[in-house]
Amino acid sequence: MKVHEIADTRCGDKGDISNVCVFVRDPGDWDFLREHLTDDVVRARFGPLVKGTVTRYEFPVLKGLNFVMTEALGGGVSISLRTDPHGKSYASLMDDIELGERGPAAAQ
Amino acid sequence: MNTAARRIRIGSGGIGAADRIEPGVDLANSGRIEYLAFDCLAERTLALAQIRRLSDETSGYDDRIPDIIAGLESFLRSGNRVVGSFGAANPEAAVAATTAALRKANLDGTKVGLIQGDEARDAVLEHNVFLPEMGCHVNDMVAKLVSAHAYIGAEPIVDLLKEGCQVVVGGRLADPSVYVGPICHELGWALDDWDRVATATLVAHLLECGIGRGGKKDPLAEPGYPMAIVGDDGQVEVTKLDGSDGRIDSTAVKLHLGYEVHDPSAYLTPDISVDFSQVWVEEIGPDRVRVGGARGNPRPETLKVLVGLDLGWKVVAEVSLGGRDCVERARVAAEITNRRLAPVADGISDSLVSVHGADALFGEQMPGGYQADVRLRVAYRCDTREVADSAVKAGNQLYSAAKGGGGVVVNVTRAIGVTPALLPRAAVPLRTDVVLA
Repeated sequence: MKVHEIADTRCGDKGDISNVCVFVRDPGDWDFLREHLTDDVVRARFGPLVKGTVTRYEFPVLKGLNFVMTEALGGGVSISLRTDPHGKSYASLMDDIELGERGPAAAQ
Repeated sequence: MNTAARRIRIGSGGIGAADRIEPGVDLANSGRIEYLAFDCLAERTLALAQIRRLSDETSGYDDRIPDIIAGLESFLRSGNRVVGSFGAANPEAAVAATTAALRKANLDGTKVGLIQGDEARDAVLEHNVFLPEMGCHVNDMVAKLVSAHAYIGAEPIVDLLKEGCQVVVGGRLADPSVYVGPICHELGWALDDWDRVATATLVAHLLECGIGRGGKKDPLAEPGYPMAIVGDDGQVEVTKLDGSDGRIDSTAVKLHLGYEVHDPSAYLTPDISVDFSQVWVEEIGPDRVRVGGARGNPRPETLKVLVGLDLGWKVVAEVSLGGRDCVERARVAAEITNRRLAPVADGISDSLVSVHGADALFGEQMPGGYQADVRLRVAYRCDTREVADSAVKAGNQLYSAAKGGGGVVVNVTRAIGVTPALLPRAAVPLRTDVVLA
C-alpha cells in the first residue's frame, strides 16, 4: 500500500526547508499511517535530496502528519541549481512511499 | 438580519506579483466582500525588486498597481478597502503609483496609507546577524549583501485603517498580516488578544497562498480566489464565488493548513505564535467550510529578516537527445562540457547535471526497449560575469558535446540568494503616513 492510496499530500518551501504534509482520507487509516510513515522511512526515501534533518509533527484532530526537512532544497529556491528548486515535486515522492501490507484486522 | 454580531468579509486578491488580477476583481465586484488583501512577495521577489530599484530609484514595487486600481474602481468608490504588500522594495514609489492610478480613476482624495521601515540593511550589519543557512555572520558576506527586509506585522495596517485609509501599501508585510490587520481592525480585536489573533491568523493562513485552486472540477478552467466571513464571536466561514472553479472542502483546508507550516503547535508570524494542532474543519455546503480551534501564544520577541545576497550568476543549458543510448550520450555530453569549463573551474561555486526523461522528441513513435528521449540539463553558479560567459559558451557548444543532440537552450540570470536571519523588534522601527490621492 502506497501513501497516495490512503492520504492526500502537499508540500511547501521556506528557504532551504521543505515541508510535506500527509492527511489520511479515512480516519480508520490514521493509526496505520502513523505507525508506518515514520521519519526514518521518509528520510530513507528522500535519501541524498535531504542533507539535513527530517522531523515529523502531527495534526491530531485533522489526522495528518507533517514532515519538515532541512537542507532539503539544494540551498533554497533562490540559490539552488535544481530543476525544481521549490521542491514542488516532493509531494509526488511522498505519495510513492510504500507503507507495507495493510493487515486484515485493520482493513475497512 | 442579526444586528448583534459584527462581521468582516474579506477576499484574497492574489498570492504573488506574477499572479492573475481578474479573480480578485471578480470577488471585489461581487458585492460579497468589503476588504480585498494581496500578498505580493515570494521569498526572492524582494531581493529582485531591490536590484531593480538600484538601477532605477523610481522602480522596485509591484507594477500591477495601475491595473489593480483600475479594476477596483467601483469597489473603492463604494468605500471598500484594499491592503497589500505592493511596496516590495519601494513602498513610497508604490504609493505614488497608487495615488496616480486613483486620480486617473477619478478617485481624487482617497486616503492611502504608507508603511515604511521594513528595510533593514543597516540593522543587520549593525547587529551582525547570524545566517544559519549560510553558516556565517552577515559581516562575513558584506560585499555580497544586496538587501535585508524584516517581516512586519498587522499593527501599522490597523493604525492606517483607523486613520480611514482605503488603500494600505507596505513592503515586506508578512503574508498573513495583510489579512490579520483588516480582521482585527474591523472586529475591534486587540493585537494582544492572542486567541482572537490566532483565529485571524488561521483565516489569513487559509486565504494566503491560494487555497481552493487545487482539486478543480474543470482542469482547464481558471480557479476563483477564496474569501472568508469572520464574526466577532470567532465564527469563521471560508468560501469562494459561485460559478468560479476550484474547490474549497475539508481536504483543501487540511492540505492548505499544512502548507509551509513547520511545527503545527508554533506557527510563527510577526503578530503571534499560533497553535494549529487542534484546528478542526466542517463542511457546511458546496465550497463552504467552517474552521476553528486555533489557539494563540504571545508573538515572538524577534522578527524574521530575509537577507538578499549576490551570489554571482546562474547559467543553465539544456539539450535534447533521443533514441538508442540517449541517456549515456547525455552523460558523456555533460562530462565534455564540464571539461571544457575546467580552465574556469575556480570561479564555479556549484554545478549540477540532470537528465530529464520525457517524450518531447518522438512522442509514441519510438519503439520500446529504451528511453524515447531525454533532456540533458547542466547548471553552473559562477562567481563573475566572465566565468558565466564561459559557461554560456560551453552551453552553446552542447551541439558538439551531445552526439545527436538538438534544441539547445542556454539561460543566464543573476544568482540572488535570500537567506533568513533574526533581528530584535526594536531594531526595526516602523513609520506610517497618510497620503491623499
